Amino acid sequence: MTTRLTPLALSVVTLAAWGLVLGVFSGRPELVVAVAPLLLGLLRRAPVDPVRDWRISRSLSVDRAFEGERVVVTVTVNAGQPVPLLELFEPLPPSLRVVAGSNRGVFTLVRGQEVQWRYEVECGRRGRVSLGTVHARLWDRAGLHAGETSVQAPGQLRVYPRPIPLRRLPRPRRTQASVGNYVSSSVGEGLEPGDIREFVPGDRIRHVNWRASLRFRRLFVTQYHQERNADVILMLDTLVEVGAPPETTLDASIQAAASLAGAYLARKDRVGLIEYGGPFRWVRPGSGRAQYERLLEALLRADVVFSYVRANVALVPRRVLPAQALVIAISPLLDAHFEKAVVDLAARGFDLVILSPSPIPLVQRSTRASPSVDLACRLWALERRARAAALHRLGLTILEWDPREPLEATLAGFTRSRHRSVAG
Amino acid sequence: MWLPSALPVVVLVGYPLLIAPTRAVLTIGVAAIVLCALGVAVRSTPVVVAGGVLALGEYALALWLSTGPPRLTGAVLFGVGLVLLLETVDFARRVRHAAIGPGVVASQVRYWAVFAALAGTAAFVVIGIATAASLIAHLPWAPAFAATGAAVALVAVAVTLRHARS
Repeated sequence: MTTRLTPLALSVVTLAAWGLVLGVFSGRPELVVAVAPLLLGLLRRAPVDPVRDWRISRSLSVDRAFEGERVVVTVTVNAGQPVPLLELFEPLPPSLRVVAGSNRGVFTLVRGQEVQWRYEVECGRRGRVSLGTVHARLWDRAGLHAGETSVQAPGQLRVYPRPIPLRRLPRPRRTQASVGNYVSSSVGEGLEPGDIREFVPGDRIRHVNWRASLRFRRLFVTQYHQERNADVILMLDTLVEVGAPPETTLDASIQAAASLAGAYLARKDRVGLIEYGGPFRWVRPGSGRAQYERLLEALLRADVVFSYVRANVALVPRRVLPAQALVIAISPLLDAHFEKAVVDLAARGFDLVILSPSPIPLVQRSTRASPSVDLACRLWALERRARAAALHRLGLTILEWDPREPLEATLAGFTRSRHRSVAG
Repeated sequence: MWLPSALPVVVLVGYPLLIAPTRAVLTIGVAAIVLCALGVAVRSTPVVVAGGVLALGEYALALWLSTGPPRLTGAVLFGVGLVLLLETVDFARRVRHAAIGPGVVASQVRYWAVFAALAGTAAFVVIGIATAASLIAHLPWAPAFAATGAAVALVAVAVTLRHARS
């Protein structure tokens, strides 16, 4: 523990010096007597004990939270010896904001006393938050001396991106073999009626279509479409991001990915993730609650990391990128490598959808408004539109999403356009 | 937290006016009370020190204008008030925007009360000894006070700086 003289001691010395000077010049003993308590205050020194005999522990109300949720931090202080005045300060990362209480506390402890101190923080941005160090300052009663030290009190908090509930999703063109929510083109056991055919031995009686059988005076049965699930691969562009945290294109992309993953998993689909950037990572397709947590964990660490090694989708194992999968590429389309990768995927016959969070409103929000910025953004918008048209000519459909607008509305419009194109 | 600081301000500014109720003393007193009040309000120790210096000036002027024997009891009260003003404002500054644990304020107020009582008692004992000594030996008091004050100040600063880091 490092002890030091506080600014208050210097203030006391200053006043005492002024009193003595005035006493000498005025020739009055009262002024010297008046500054005597100040000087006595300097002489009385309650030394700050360099041996720390108090312990700090910290607990969090939850160790996993979504963006925007609140977490209660409880710090417990145990004292082995009396502590005159203990000031504790817990620096918080920028992604956490104190909403109730204070992350600085002042305590007086008697021997063996335990004090709990609580404050509430709001999780602002996804990520792994480490609450590691508590700074402690031990004051003497007068405030003339202080000892400072740091105490390690490990605490980890995982802040996941907040998923947005989505009702309308891009429908996969191809389905898989497992049972799901999509009406498959193949016939078998299901709920959606399909064709009718003549009865053959082995058919169930309850499948007999009595109306057709009476008309043709032969037994006919109704065939049903099978209900199958699909494989959905979310391909996240982590090559580049623009905007000011916590509203960057990557933040918007990650929130969209979390929302899409939750919505598809709720439909019994298998969902995988490819993080296309410096560190080229992936999560194999899977279903269920555990898979959702795996995806959120992967999204938690997704970040733009510079690398000399460029990612290549050709390196992705086939188990990660199944042939029948719907690939949803989420990218602001600011890096030519990603465009090349999606063109490559489309050429390989993948059912591909590009969801592009527009960087323009995010950049506009983070820069000071001026006519030149406005003009630059309009030119940028034109350039993006031209690039989208070029990709559209290659058979790709790009869905431009303004991150200030709900993703649901954007996806709803996109779903309708896909239906029209399929019908046509 | 402003009440424990407001009481010493009233003592520091009001006592010189009782000694010499003149316009000059009142003017300095008003300036001192404004600075002290500002320092208490914004919890700034430097501003309070400036106010304290003005209060000392007001006190010195009042003493210089007045006649009669030394008022040592009042001087002790003035000094204790000065210490309490500094410490209360500094304490208020330290605990600002902080979660205050149970018993912190009560124990601090208890400490200030004990300190004021002890400092006052010690000062009165020293005054008594000095008065008794003055009856026995007639010394040139002004230089003796100055020398004693300077010596005490030097010792206090030296002791403080020696223990500044450990």
